[in-house]
Amino acid sequence: MAELLRKLTRRAKLYIQVTHVSEIARRYFVKNGMDGLMTTLGIVLGAWAVGAENANLIVATGLGACLAMGISGLFGTYITERAERKRRLKELEESLLSDLNDSLHKNAEEVVSVFAALVDGLSPSLTAAVCLVPFFLTTIGALIIWDAYLISFILTFATLFSLGVYLGTVAKENMLLYGFQMLGAGLLIALIIFLFGGI
Amino acid sequence: MQHAVKRIVLDVLKLREPSLPDLATSLSSINGIIGVNISLVEMDQNTESVKIAIEGEKIDIDYVKEMLKDNGAVIHSIDEVVVGRKLVSLK
Repeated sequence: MAELLRKLTRRAKLYIQVTHVSEIARRYFVKNGMDGLMTTLGIVLGAWAVGAENANLIVATGLGACLAMGISGLFGTYITERAERKRRLKELEESLLSDLNDSLHKNAEEVVSVFAALVDGLSPSLTAAVCLVPFFLTTIGALIIWDAYLISFILTFATLFSLGVYLGTVAKENMLLYGFQMLGAGLLIALIIFLFGGI
Repeated sequence: MQHAVKRIVLDVLKLREPSLPDLATSLSSINGIIGVNISLVEMDQNTESVKIAIEGEKIDIDYVKEMLKDNGAVIHSIDEVVVGRKLVSLK
């Protein structure tokens, strides 16, 4: 059992090394995570601007958007990533003057396309779900709707800031600066929706 | 009586990934192999030409070929084979 686990871990490490998937997955995670947050922030802010008091409506709309983004990310990324990988594999085959059937490069291509698609599909759903948690609590009577709005905004901005901090650690630069940049993007969206809501 | 292969030297063209340490580790995990030496000869954008020397008690050349293919490498030529109870060198 331990031997099998060791072999699987070693294989996974080789796949990651051969395909450089960690960089791509990181990019997908942050970019689409931010997409999910911004979309849900837009929905919540829009609902707040018109004074919506129906938490079920906000949860259903938010989940619908999450699902759409998730499925779009899943299929879109799988097809795109697989096409890119096939192209790269053909380039490698030309360099090697030999086919790469049954090689770890060929197997890694398929596994990594699925992995990238899962990251792309799940990250917006995950981040969007964070913003919707307070409204879930409202539907079961644990929170009043106006508190849910407030907590949702706090959670959204905290998650945006965390994504920025994560990017700062990736870039090995000032984490807080990256955090505040992400926060600024969220506040800009909030300002625009607030202004439109006023109109 | 058929003796086992004790040493082989291969001229191999491999992709840049997996790296030389990873390829060497994979080869050294094959049963019957006690040592692996990989030397870089030439490097290209996508490929590397390498010399691989393998020593062991009983080297299964077919399995070595299979392992190399699995790692995205092709054998250009088998430059040296040593068989028998004693390691015989040309020098």
